[in-house]
Amino acid sequence: MSAIVSVTNVSKIYKLGKTEVPALRGVSLEIDQGEFLSVAGPSGSGKTTLLNLVGCVDTPTSGSVVVDGKDTTALSERALTSLRLDSIGFIFQSFNLVAVLSVFQNVEFPLLLQGRLGKKERADRVNGLLEAVGLGDHARHRPSELSGGQRQRVAVARALVGRPKLVLADEPTANLDSQTGANIIDLMRDMNRKDGTTFLFSTHDQKVLSHANAVIRIADGQLLGRETVARAG
Amino acid sequence: MILVDLQIATRNLLQHTRRNLFLGGALAATTGLLILLSGLSGGMKEGLLQSATVLASGHVNVGGFYKVTSSTAAPLVTDYEKVLAETKKHVPELQDYTVRVRGYAKAVSERSSTDLVLAGVEVAREKKMRDVLQLTAGKLEDLGKPGTLLLFEEQAKRLEVGVGDVITLSAPTTRGQSNTADVRVVAVARSIGLMSSFSAFMHDGTLRKLYNLREGNTGVIQLYLRDHRQAPLVAARLRDALAAAGWRVMDSNPQPYWMKLFQTIPSEDWTGQKLDMTTWEDEMSFLSWIFTAVSVLTGILTIVLMVIVIIGILNTLAIAIRERTREIGTLRAIGMQRSKVRWLLLLEAGLLGVAATGAGALLAGLLARLLNGAHIEIPPAMQMFLMQQNLRLVIEPGRAVAYAALLALVTTVASLLPATLAARLKPVTAMHHIG
Repeated sequence: MSAIVSVTNVSKIYKLGKTEVPALRGVSLEIDQGEFLSVAGPSGSGKTTLLNLVGCVDTPTSGSVVVDGKDTTALSERALTSLRLDSIGFIFQSFNLVAVLSVFQNVEFPLLLQGRLGKKERADRVNGLLEAVGLGDHARHRPSELSGGQRQRVAVARALVGRPKLVLADEPTANLDSQTGANIIDLMRDMNRKDGTTFLFSTHDQKVLSHANAVIRIADGQLLGRETVARAG
Repeated sequence: MILVDLQIATRNLLQHTRRNLFLGGALAATTGLLILLSGLSGGMKEGLLQSATVLASGHVNVGGFYKVTSSTAAPLVTDYEKVLAETKKHVPELQDYTVRVRGYAKAVSERSSTDLVLAGVEVAREKKMRDVLQLTAGKLEDLGKPGTLLLFEEQAKRLEVGVGDVITLSAPTTRGQSNTADVRVVAVARSIGLMSSFSAFMHDGTLRKLYNLREGNTGVIQLYLRDHRQAPLVAARLRDALAAAGWRVMDSNPQPYWMKLFQTIPSEDWTGQKLDMTTWEDEMSFLSWIFTAVSVLTGILTIVLMVIVIIGILNTLAIAIRERTREIGTLRAIGMQRSKVRWLLLLEAGLLGVAATGAGALLAGLLARLLNGAHIEIPPAMQMFLMQQNLRLVIEPGRAVAYAALLALVTTVASLLPATLAARLKPVTAMHHIG
């Protein structure tokens, strides 16, 4: 399998006044297409920073991050934005839906930004995804009218609607109860199996970890190793 | 996409109702105030146009001066029928005209005296006078009889006379001698602004007699056009045409005739007849300081209000953007370009601007209608400056739209800085923003 993400010797240092805080130190890893991969580690270990760098919403202090064959450290802000739009989907811990848009419009938004599909094609794709995440009847609702689990399903649909090669999810179950969290992970797993979309998600929940193909362990900004998850049956 | 953009912008505006109502209210009030001020200025102009074109001027005047010696001058057009015939050939815009004798005299009653600028009129020809003058006593038709005079309320009060009373007019003739005439007040009209404080009408034959004028000579031919805004063009055209036809024509000089008569003409070294074309605005130019004062006041007020609006917008948008930083970060993360973020924020400000200034313009229109309908009488001391007896606001729709558009544009442009700053935020910084 070819690598969709290639991180080489990446360091990220945040400056807090005169103090330098290293968030990642010399991290290297490769993620193949179609993987369902989890990043695990305690709070402050660098999980979110790693996801931010892979998701091109932040830039490394040193090292290189290649996503979908593009070296993100060499791209302009505009090109990075286009790369995020076309190749990466995001699922956030706090859902981050646009409050003033309906469920349908939230999911449709990335397609509008891409500007490649006509109205009917967009509607078909959005409705198909909303059915797939079990929210076919909630298309006209506003995010405020949904439960936490339902909002995260909308976020999953929004992340997938542009058919990205890579979906990044930062603690996607952290704000959900365990059953709803498990359902969301199952939903992501289904999408991964069905469409071959690569998923990289961070968590420190052991139950959630058990759903991943492999787990990248991280602590104090350093990669501790990569484990394949053994699954019964 | 534009529909979704509009929807996002509109819903965002509606979601922060209190803040946007405050800012929108300020914008609407500013727009309304500017439009009402412009309406007041428009009302003054209309009042001036009305009083000027009834009392002392046509839209365009074909007047002139006759000098027997180089130091004595009289406001005269000799052989005016020929001048009128030539004029008619060159003014297709002409709707109506009147021929008046011009003069000034000291009016003396039994108890008081005052200076009057006199217009000798043939009342049967003065159709506009009937529409505009509101008589409080007497009959306008009586002005057709020799030895009669029409005064305005203010003058009648000053002279302490009423209909039926006789006053004496004393005036210098074209040859510099003094002449007098007794005239009877046959009508008193309601004052119509500053002009009516010193202008009065009398029977044209009586005024001719007072000035020893020959038949065929007159003071001025007042031309009324279909559109008064054409006056400067028509005056310039007539200047060329009458000069080409052989008359001696004075250069354009935007001063009233009486100012020229007393100040400019006596010092010029020529004798005989010269024609002078003026517009109603030239004849009223001695009042232009009032308009300048109102314009300066409006200008200062506009600048102050604009500064307040811009500071208000910058503050409000800065707060709005701070509140929505995480949302902006999310939109940037999922692939929205900086330019698009900026556009959405500008659109929001623009929509607020259009809605608020539109509402302000409408409210100003309604208020102006209410005020006009209420016929509020202006205190006499203010009447002179506002050039009207009852408060009247004249709002030009084009000007109102221009004010509203200007303020909406200012709102949008003022939002450019906070919008650009928001768009420049790194997605990761914006998404982790707290507050």
